[in-house]
Amino acid sequence: MITCSCPSCNRRYSYPVIECTFCRVPLVEQETRTGEVVGVTEVSVPSLGHEEVPYWCALVARPQGGFAVVKRDVPTSVGDRITFGVAEETATHTIGVVGSGVMARGLVELFLARGQRVTWVGRSLERLSTARDKVVDRLARVMDEEQLSSAVSRLELSENASAFASCDLVLEAVVEEVEPKLAILREIEAAVGPECMIATNTSSLPLDVLASALSDASRFGGMHFFNPPTRMRLVELVRAPETSDETDGFLYDLSVSLGKIPVRVANGPGFVVNRVLMPLLNEAVRALEDNAAPAADIDEAVRLGLNHPMGPLALADLIGLDVVVSIMEDLHARLGDDAYAPRPMLSELVNAGKLGRKTGSGFYDYTPPPAP
Amino acid sequence: MGAYVLGVGKTRFGPSSHPMTRLAHEAILGALSDANMKIEEIGAFIVANFLGGPNESQLHLNSVVAGLFPGLHIPGWRVEAACASGGVAIHQAVTMLSAYDPILVVGVERLSGRPGNELTRNIGMAGDVLLDQSQGLNFPATYALVAQRHMQRYGTTTRDFELISLKNHANAQLNPLAHFHHKPVSQADIDAGATVASPLRLFDCCPVSDGAAAVIISREPRDGRSVAIIGSGVGTDVISLAQREDHTSFAAAKEAARVAYAQAGIIAADIDLAEVHDCFTIAEIVAMEDLGLASPGSAVELIRAGETGIGGRMPVNPSGGLKAGGHAIGATGVGQVYEAVKQLRGEAGERQVADAMVAVTHNVGGVGGTCAVQVLGRLS
Repeated sequence: MITCSCPSCNRRYSYPVIECTFCRVPLVEQETRTGEVVGVTEVSVPSLGHEEVPYWCALVARPQGGFAVVKRDVPTSVGDRITFGVAEETATHTIGVVGSGVMARGLVELFLARGQRVTWVGRSLERLSTARDKVVDRLARVMDEEQLSSAVSRLELSENASAFASCDLVLEAVVEEVEPKLAILREIEAAVGPECMIATNTSSLPLDVLASALSDASRFGGMHFFNPPTRMRLVELVRAPETSDETDGFLYDLSVSLGKIPVRVANGPGFVVNRVLMPLLNEAVRALEDNAAPAADIDEAVRLGLNHPMGPLALADLIGLDVVVSIMEDLHARLGDDAYAPRPMLSELVNAGKLGRKTGSGFYDYTPPPAP
Repeated sequence: MGAYVLGVGKTRFGPSSHPMTRLAHEAILGALSDANMKIEEIGAFIVANFLGGPNESQLHLNSVVAGLFPGLHIPGWRVEAACASGGVAIHQAVTMLSAYDPILVVGVERLSGRPGNELTRNIGMAGDVLLDQSQGLNFPATYALVAQRHMQRYGTTTRDFELISLKNHANAQLNPLAHFHHKPVSQADIDAGATVASPLRLFDCCPVSDGAAAVIISREPRDGRSVAIIGSGVGTDVISLAQREDHTSFAAAKEAARVAYAQAGIIAADIDLAEVHDCFTIAEIVAMEDLGLASPGSAVELIRAGETGIGGRMPVNPSGGLKAGGHAIGATGVGQVYEAVKQLRGEAGERQVADAMVAVTHNVGGVGGTCAVQVLGRLS
């Protein structure tokens, strides 16, 4: 932040004015980038423009005198020294990311936005480059040129897991199937140093099964981010049976420093969010089958009545109906509860190739109207 | 030249289905009846309001209020100084008596019916848009920082805040026009209150109220029930905590008090009761210290000893204050003068402070960017 001060009387002005009102001499601009927190409040009440709570408002003493109020989305204490702007505040790690899908892209964006170094590995350098362009494009919306060039300089792309050699953490976000994940975990372990943590972004696969790929599973844990990871604040932290306290603590602290709210969940079917979500989606489909209301009205009722940002049928279309069915089948098999058995209408849509938004139709039709 | 309150009127503060016009009308009629006057006798009027624009899409409020006395065509103004709008409007009236007499001051506000996050944003307009609002520093958060700085500097505790809340809620039980008149608040309620902005919890915060208050001010007293405004001051300061060196005291309040006391020829020890701007419990502590009712850091001694209750040595907010009496922002400062007049006339009923001769009102805008202080005295 920039303030102006008078070289003659030392009065400070917080506004873009050029002359001291008293001394009538030109003011000198001072830019502040760091300061010490002298007061902080954890704000739990949302307001327009600041909907995500909690956040922290710090009163920061500036080294040349005066104060600033700084909003932070990480816990902050009196005595902390902070740098204004979010990017430079967190301890910097080198984080490896595997995968080039939507989730991997979102994670890379999040890590770069938070000042981390990222080593991004995928099967094809060409696909990675395309994905990187999308990430840079998104970062450019919230960063100035200097910040953006810093972010780009912290990103390394590679087709080879050996690039992970200097990572502090490698997070895999490849396709949600056991065999490809086991294979990539083996590759990661072979490439990284002995101190490097390894995490999976799986949303449903059992951690003990994935851990079997590793010779040292104590440094392995689940870190389930939600899409889009730059905006969604939850991280489900999942411990495999061998996960050490050190690993768990590292993943927890890293989540907090990324502005996330980690919740520790057991290594059970669907963890917490999918376990609770799937019966909701399934019941919405059953309500549609029973003609409780048309799809749009079911969504509108749930959206308004439960204060959800979108209705369950629209959400299922967004996730992809094939993905929904596969998660439900997995949970049904492991929990043995028919609430998780995909409803006939879901299976019919999947069999008809109507998988939701990605195919242009599901519970809703997403094909653009023909040009007039 | 003197200034005398001839009549006062006030609606109940609290949620209301009535529009601003109806609320203002009720208060104006109350003040006219109280003064035994007709509207045709009024020389000019001032409307105090904060959020008519953002909340109600209604500006040009002097003309709207002129619609309550159609055909009169007297001069009228609107005053906006955030939560100090009412006290500043009273000060304006006092200073304009040489030109117009008598002057009707009506404060009015509607805060209910807006979504909470929108209202919190709108009230935040009392803070600087870049220095505070952009950083999420809404008003609970602002006063939370003041509370924390006061705790660091003087050892003030959250228990002190609870004592203020309990006292003001108890007073509101005795005030039929108070927001919380029908809702007793116990220690258990306070304990159950959620954190709003640490260290402030729900019952550290005043409610947002609808309501109106009106007073009629003249150069001359009309009868024995007229009450003198013997001092009136307004002070200003930079708007944001970020621009201040001291976060435990408001320079604007100290300046307004200095001017008002000098005009009145009193010292703080002469004051029999104070209606102060306790938008948050911590603000009552800051107010007492800025008004000189206690030295910096020592207001808590009076509070812990129960001396700020109605029967205590230094009664503060016998009406219940903003905390429990309610905060109908533009009406608040006018409502404080209403309470002072009622007390000095001996018309305050169950909440009457015995033998009150001198009362002070203290109305703050934002986090001390504006403060109006009035000293009122009984004609004896």
